[in-house]
Amino acid sequence: MAAAESGTVRETADPVLVTEDLTRRFGSLVAVDGVSLEVERGEFRSVIGPNGAGKTTLFNLISGALPPTSGTVRFDGEDVTRLPPHARVRRGIGRSFQITNVFGALTVHENVRVAAQSVYDAGLPIAERFFCSTADFEEINARAEETLERVGLADRATERAAALGYGDRRRLELGLVLATDPQVVLLDEPTAGMSREETRATMELIDDVLADRTLLLIEHDIDLVMNVSDRVTVLDRGRELTTGSPSDVAANERVQAAYLGGER
Amino acid sequence: MVMSGTPPSKRRDRSIAPTRRRLLKAVGTSATLGAAGVAGCLGTIGGDAENTVTYATLNPMSGTYNSLGPTQRKGAELAAKHINESDEFGFELKLVKGDTETDPTAAQQAARRLVNKDGAQFLFGAISSSVALALNEFAQDEEIIYNPGGAAVPITGEACNEWVFRAETNTAQVAEAVSEYTVKNLGNRVWFHISDYAYGESVLKRVRSRMEAADANLEVVGVSRSQLGASNYDSFISGIGGSDAQVAVLGMTGSDLINFVGQAASQGLKDRVNLMSPTMTFAVVRGALGKAAVGTYGGVRYVPQLETGDNRAFVEAYREEYDGEDPDNFARVGYESLRMTARGIEAAESNEPAAVKDQLPGMEMDTIFGRNQFRACDHQAMNPTWMGELVEGSGETAGVKLLSKVEGKDALPPCEQLGCSLG
Amino acid sequence: MSAATTLLEQVLNGLTIGMVYVLLAAGLSIIFGVMDVINFAHGEFFALGAYVGLSVALATGSGGFWVALLVAPLLVGLVGAGVERFTIRPLYGRNPLYHILLTFGLVLIFKDVITLIWGQQPYQFAKPPLLSGTVTLFGFDYALYSYFVIGIGALIALGTWLALTRTRYGLVIRAGSMDRDMVRYLGIDIDRYYTIVFAFGAMLAAVGGVVLAGRQNVAPGMGNAVIIPAFIVVVLGGLGSFRGAVVGGLLIGVIQTFVRSQFPFLEGLAVFLLMIAVLLLRPQGLFGNPEWGTGGEGGDLLTAGDADVFDSALKRRIGVGLVGVLAVTPLLIGLPSYYVNTLVVNILIWALFALSLDFVMGYAGLVSLGHVLFYGVGAYATVLAVMHLVPSLFVALAVGIAVSAVIAWVVGYLSIRVSGVYFSMITLAFAELFFSAVFKLEWAGSSDGLFGFDPVYGLFAGPSVGSIELVGGVSVFYYVVLAAVVGSYLLARQVMRAPFGSVLQAIRESELRTGFIGYDVTVYKRRAFVVSGGLAGLAGGLAAVQTGGVSPEFLAWIRSGEVIVMTILGGMGTLYGPMLGAGVYLVSKELLLGITEQWQGVLGLIFVLFVIFVPRGLVSLPGLLAGRFDRSPGGGTDVLAEEETEVTD
Repeated sequence: MAAAESGTVRETADPVLVTEDLTRRFGSLVAVDGVSLEVERGEFRSVIGPNGAGKTTLFNLISGALPPTSGTVRFDGEDVTRLPPHARVRRGIGRSFQITNVFGALTVHENVRVAAQSVYDAGLPIAERFFCSTADFEEINARAEETLERVGLADRATERAAALGYGDRRRLELGLVLATDPQVVLLDEPTAGMSREETRATMELIDDVLADRTLLLIEHDIDLVMNVSDRVTVLDRGRELTTGSPSDVAANERVQAAYLGGER
Repeated sequence: MVMSGTPPSKRRDRSIAPTRRRLLKAVGTSATLGAAGVAGCLGTIGGDAENTVTYATLNPMSGTYNSLGPTQRKGAELAAKHINESDEFGFELKLVKGDTETDPTAAQQAARRLVNKDGAQFLFGAISSSVALALNEFAQDEEIIYNPGGAAVPITGEACNEWVFRAETNTAQVAEAVSEYTVKNLGNRVWFHISDYAYGESVLKRVRSRMEAADANLEVVGVSRSQLGASNYDSFISGIGGSDAQVAVLGMTGSDLINFVGQAASQGLKDRVNLMSPTMTFAVVRGALGKAAVGTYGGVRYVPQLETGDNRAFVEAYREEYDGEDPDNFARVGYESLRMTARGIEAAESNEPAAVKDQLPGMEMDTIFGRNQFRACDHQAMNPTWMGELVEGSGETAGVKLLSKVEGKDALPPCEQLGCSLG
Repeated sequence: MSAATTLLEQVLNGLTIGMVYVLLAAGLSIIFGVMDVINFAHGEFFALGAYVGLSVALATGSGGFWVALLVAPLLVGLVGAGVERFTIRPLYGRNPLYHILLTFGLVLIFKDVITLIWGQQPYQFAKPPLLSGTVTLFGFDYALYSYFVIGIGALIALGTWLALTRTRYGLVIRAGSMDRDMVRYLGIDIDRYYTIVFAFGAMLAAVGGVVLAGRQNVAPGMGNAVIIPAFIVVVLGGLGSFRGAVVGGLLIGVIQTFVRSQFPFLEGLAVFLLMIAVLLLRPQGLFGNPEWGTGGEGGDLLTAGDADVFDSALKRRIGVGLVGVLAVTPLLIGLPSYYVNTLVVNILIWALFALSLDFVMGYAGLVSLGHVLFYGVGAYATVLAVMHLVPSLFVALAVGIAVSAVIAWVVGYLSIRVSGVYFSMITLAFAELFFSAVFKLEWAGSSDGLFGFDPVYGLFAGPSVGSIELVGGVSVFYYVVLAAVVGSYLLARQVMRAPFGSVLQAIRESELRTGFIGYDVTVYKRRAFVVSGGLAGLAGGLAAVQTGGVSPEFLAWIRSGEVIVMTILGGMGTLYGPMLGAGVYLVSKELLLGITEQWQGVLGLIFVLFVIFVPRGLVSLPGLLAGRFDRSPGGGTDVLAEEETEVTD
């Protein structure tokens, strides 16, 4: 198994997210082909690979956006393979999207507040859920404000999300994930389309606000994840090529071959 | 008709509603007096002039029955003109108009507009039974006279009330004309095909029972129902053609009937089976079917060639007014509804609906059908009816040959049987 | 007649009508596939084909039928091209909902133009003698014309198929109807093909019209009568699939015919049940592309939530003022009671109905084409409760609300899992199912409806509602309605400010994202649907009391169309906008009624202009005008952005 190769990072195996032989076909195309991952609690794992390697499909399978053709997803020891996305979020799997997906017509504060509210959703009494103004729920609002502070959008709370600039919207996207209090966060190319400057700032932000969570990050720029990741998994044409520490992966010949062959 | 949607509980309410209403009116009046300061300007509208009668004509100008509404209105317009020109009537008739949209809610709203805003005290119109039934209720609530244009029996049957006077011939009267003749002359092995709604069911029920009474050997070969508004009748036509029926009685009207007969003609059913429908002779049906209608049979409520009453004069006047067009039954109903009621207004020497409604029942008068009246016990005009055969006409449209006549007093079943007992 | 020939005959009957469906559905389906346009006016092209054919045939004398068969489709195709060019083109990229609204307006216009030209009386087309009578084939008699219909339908379907598969144009169109973006990636400007596609669809419909005119009468309502079955065919076959339209059309034709002769009690219901079943089991239809409708393609629903320029304090003041005026003025001014008791009551009831639709359409993005179902069910339940339960107004209205809410839950449970256009169609099917069923229910009054009931106030005693009058003939019922409507609005607004409503607004913005912050979107939508159903049921109950009864017209789909029109006219996603829309719609109708018989056409024209130029509704009008006069940067939109918009109320 790939984890054995690295061997250096974790002594005690405490996998929070496990996929077993996860496979997804689209007609004759196998987008994800028998991928088995074990992500440790608190780990920063990056998933890299050339375009079309199946990274986003893998995320969709883990987060529940797509059902797998075969294989299982386990979270915290529970089989979540058949659960819909919202149930996985409730259990602690949050995700961001490659293409920013925030609630454009709502204010920045309302965006984060709705997300924070979901943590309490199941426990709200019916009467309160239907008839009490959202402003009255202090704990939820406090949580939303705290989240905005952490992603640095507190001073833009009253603006409509659609009015934000690109970078700020990516921050808000992060805020939405953070507000649901996930244990594991799946980040789908959080720096896509950003300038070098913005990219660095965003990576620092991620490192800062999500430091206490388990992270699974998709990136196709290999250099970007080298410094921050605990381990790196490389996908190529749907298969797991290797998993290991950043330095091991960087030195891996097959990885170099895949990248050189796969890109341009 | 005994079935129909009106539940028994309704009749119980009916008996107490007027008194309750009067009581409330009294309460309302005292309230008005109490607030006289602010309410001083609330006079009645339109009803002030003693010798003016505001008559509303409310016809289906849009919706399902929009092809029938226009002639109904033309008849009413001609009546208004004649009443105003004639010395016989000592009042001025002002006609106001509305559209039922073939929808009870819209019709009720339009009726309110005509009554409350334009000051109408008399109301004529509607063809579909649900609209007419809604207006029946409306007339009673508003205490105005209403002449329904619909033919369904309950309008002057179970749902009758003292404000409703119908000049239209009802389904029971037509059934009387067609049933006996059909079973005795066209064949006693009968297939009933009806549109699946109240009118169709009432034809099935009524014609069947009248046929049974006329001929003990009646054999009902089959009964089939199609959805109201269906446009494809092939499967029924095949079914009828494949049976040994001699006659098919069609309980359907308008487009349904036109499509059925048209398709039956092109499948050759007409050659094998006699087709009879109480509404076959309708001008709209004949106009649409053209030659395809020739050889079928139908009940006749009215045709222009009748020699009864002052029909000749009516037809002449109508032709003159509307570019040579012949009046159809709906035009007659429009004309006669207004004229019969106007005679009541004249006799009562009052344009108050309450006075007219006491005057009209049982009052003998001259009409297009000769001497006629709104029968006292249900306010249904005692129209004669005929059995007719459709024959080659002068132009594309088939003509109607009258085969037999049932006099007014014979055509109308007793009130008790129809479910109404007024006065 | 033997069983075999009967069977054969029924199959031929089914194929005959099925072929006409094919002609209609093929155009409808291709138009949808390529352009995303749900064309409600397609039935009018069909009717126009029949009418134009009629005139052409009359003008050309003997042999006129054949000329008509050629000329009428060409003329109608030309009309179709014009319609596409001038009304539909400005709307590309918007949600298909706007095409529904636009083409709904076009239906009204076409209908009035047709009656203006040809009058209201039905016509029968003179069939050519060549095609009259019956012919004996394989030993049994059958109408020659039916063979002709089947033959010409098959010929045209085959020709269309060849054109779609063998010509360059056809290949592009076919590819476009399956995956528009892919065609764009190939560098083909698919947009250029839109006019051709639309005109071609109109032509096919016109052929259907001419051909069917030989079998049934030509009347103004004929377009209306075929459009719903045609949609069912399209949805059943799979939106955008030509093969689906052909198979679906023939299937529906044959099934209809068989049900009619074998299971007559299911007539009128079977097709809707079939459609519901197919959509539940295979939402993309028999031959549809399963990826369609899940891709989130289809453009934006333009809610007015962010185009709303009034600040909330001003809105509150206007609102309170309006309610005050409505409550007090009738008692002070001697208006004819018609205006208060009838017109305003009617407006209030429709405002409530529109509010109920906005609750799901403007907030949860559920475009319900069958909302009249809940309105009608509420009306029937209210009337039946008065008749059989307790003659109390309030109990009856509560029963109406409850029954509607339950039906809404059931319909929601079954249909909310399908998305987008399919949801719209399945709700339409449910509404039509009830509409057809009510004719068969004796206890619901069949076609006559239920009239002559007398609800009273209070539980067991109290004055009757219809008759009690206050000062100057203003009925107490007016105040009951006013209170119910204002109360419902306040309730709906509060729900939108509560946690529940905030999730609905999130769903409207992005369903996908709402799921991924941990909400069960389906459950939320279903709950919203139940609330909305209850409100619509209240509107229906009030309408029934106002009318003094209930009849099948309460369930007619045209009312669903009207309420959608009101909602968009006012500006959806604002709650009060649709109510405003109801007022403007009904007042316009009232004014037009006094001026012209063609009021429907004029209303239709107003919608068409509105959809094209003011898609966010009346609510956005001040902002639009301001934007026109103030083009400086920082004008229009920035003001909006700074506004406090926790809730759009």
